[in-house]
Amino acid sequence: MRAVRWFIVVVILACVCWWFPLFHVVSLKTAMAEKAATTFNATQFAETFWTNQLPSALEKTVTAKMLLPAIQSDAAAAKKKFARSLGLGEGYFYFLRGAGKIISVSDDEIILTVTENSTNAEVSLQTGLIFGNALRDGTGLLNGNDFPNSQDFNDVSAALNHLVETRVLPKLREQAKVGANISFVGCAAVDDESNDLKLLKVIPIQTTTE
Amino acid sequence: MKTNWLKLALVALFATAAILFTQTSTAQDAPKQKIAVVVSTMNNPWFVVLGETAKTRAIELGYDATIFDSQNDTSKEAAHFENLIAGGYKAVLFNPTDANGSIANVLKAKAAGIPVFCIDREINSTNAATAQMLSDSYSGCVKLGQLFVKSVGKDGEYAELLGLVGDNNTWNRSHGFHSVVDRYPGLKMVAQQSGEFDRAKGLEVMESILQAHPNIKGVFCGNDSMAMGAYQALVTAGKDKDVKVFGFDGADDVVKSIAEGKIVATGMQFPKKMAQQSAEFADEYIKGRRDFAQKIAVPVEVVTKENVGKYGDYGKK
Repeated sequence: MRAVRWFIVVVILACVCWWFPLFHVVSLKTAMAEKAATTFNATQFAETFWTNQLPSALEKTVTAKMLLPAIQSDAAAAKKKFARSLGLGEGYFYFLRGAGKIISVSDDEIILTVTENSTNAEVSLQTGLIFGNALRDGTGLLNGNDFPNSQDFNDVSAALNHLVETRVLPKLREQAKVGANISFVGCAAVDDESNDLKLLKVIPIQTTTE
Repeated sequence: MKTNWLKLALVALFATAAILFTQTSTAQDAPKQKIAVVVSTMNNPWFVVLGETAKTRAIELGYDATIFDSQNDTSKEAAHFENLIAGGYKAVLFNPTDANGSIANVLKAKAAGIPVFCIDREINSTNAATAQMLSDSYSGCVKLGQLFVKSVGKDGEYAELLGLVGDNNTWNRSHGFHSVVDRYPGLKMVAQQSGEFDRAKGLEVMESILQAHPNIKGVFCGNDSMAMGAYQALVTAGKDKDVKVFGFDGADDVVKSIAEGKIVATGMQFPKKMAQQSAEFADEYIKGRRDFAQKIAVPVEVVTKENVGKYGDYGKK
């Protein structure tokens, strides 16, 4: 009789543990795959953005020929009309396109003149290591509010910069020669107007040289 | 007949005066609405400035404001939220302790109809807080990383002191810094340890790092308290002239140390600006506004010896 009681208790316990297990044994491979599936993939996100979302926006940018004289004549009005600002800061971004002539080439930048009859350095295409959020925030296509964790949004920035370094810069560096004509689309960050407006530092997204 | 009219007029006059007097004294005696300021820790001058500024601005706007110190403990923070919900507070200005662990507290307040405005630190949710005013730590540390390479050089050993590992700011700062320095293979990080955003802990960790790695050329600290602790350890070891210290926050003592050439740079976060804005948002919410952006970035500016004259008192002069 006692053995039967113990048997019933063990059976009940076994059933409870079957339906409500205290722990699950999962293979390391499965666990890693599950984690990867739920983790935000910034590289993949940046790739989709670069391929699907960005190209249609490139034509809608302000031209350098319009923007630069506007900045020279009234920087505040140009900012109001063409720039994109974020949050409470004083900094802002321009998303622009243009065509011009290369007047100098170095390891980290290509200097252009873009307005008619000008021989001055007016735009610097950045060709060294790319840092910062000019590309992520300058286009106006991405919004931090769509990312519950800002680390993911920041990782997108690094992934986009990597795309510029690997897909845009190698060809640009190879083709850039003083005197060549070049057209470009890119983003420029303005943190300190006294420095950054003298020579717009543009992160190139697309370039064509002749 | 004439006397009756006179009596009636006197009675009406007294009644009107009595009603007016009662109404005036009720309005004067009505308790003010209450705003809670919940701060992760008051054991750090930067957070004291954040909390006190939020409280002062709320009082200026006509509220009773109380500061609750969570002492970097999510269970204390949860208890504060229980108390403030029961205590009839109308809004919470909140500096969270943990990006994930603090979400439940914000949701409790939301369920009770109390708006929560996060200041400086974020929570990993976009549907709990009414708005989040966040320092753009990542971008600030990208700029500091660039300065670090320029100042320390492209080769050599360096160390990093992290903040609280559960706080997003810790990793946003670290990732921003590493997004730059990791691109230079000659720069080798020989130690990365948490100093828990604390000066004493920063000193202690730096002392042990120096014993194991006496040749480091620079140390990047996730906040200014740890930077001051690290600098103190370097002075004791006689290495303050050899190791370059970088902080983050914009604390007054570090800004002064930058001017004196002791610390190389920090990221100015503008705690007063964030705290004042959050109190104003709470006031606007109580008065009926509902259209708040979920995340509002507050850019960080790099303070160096060259531009230190522009900064002080936790902001721009």
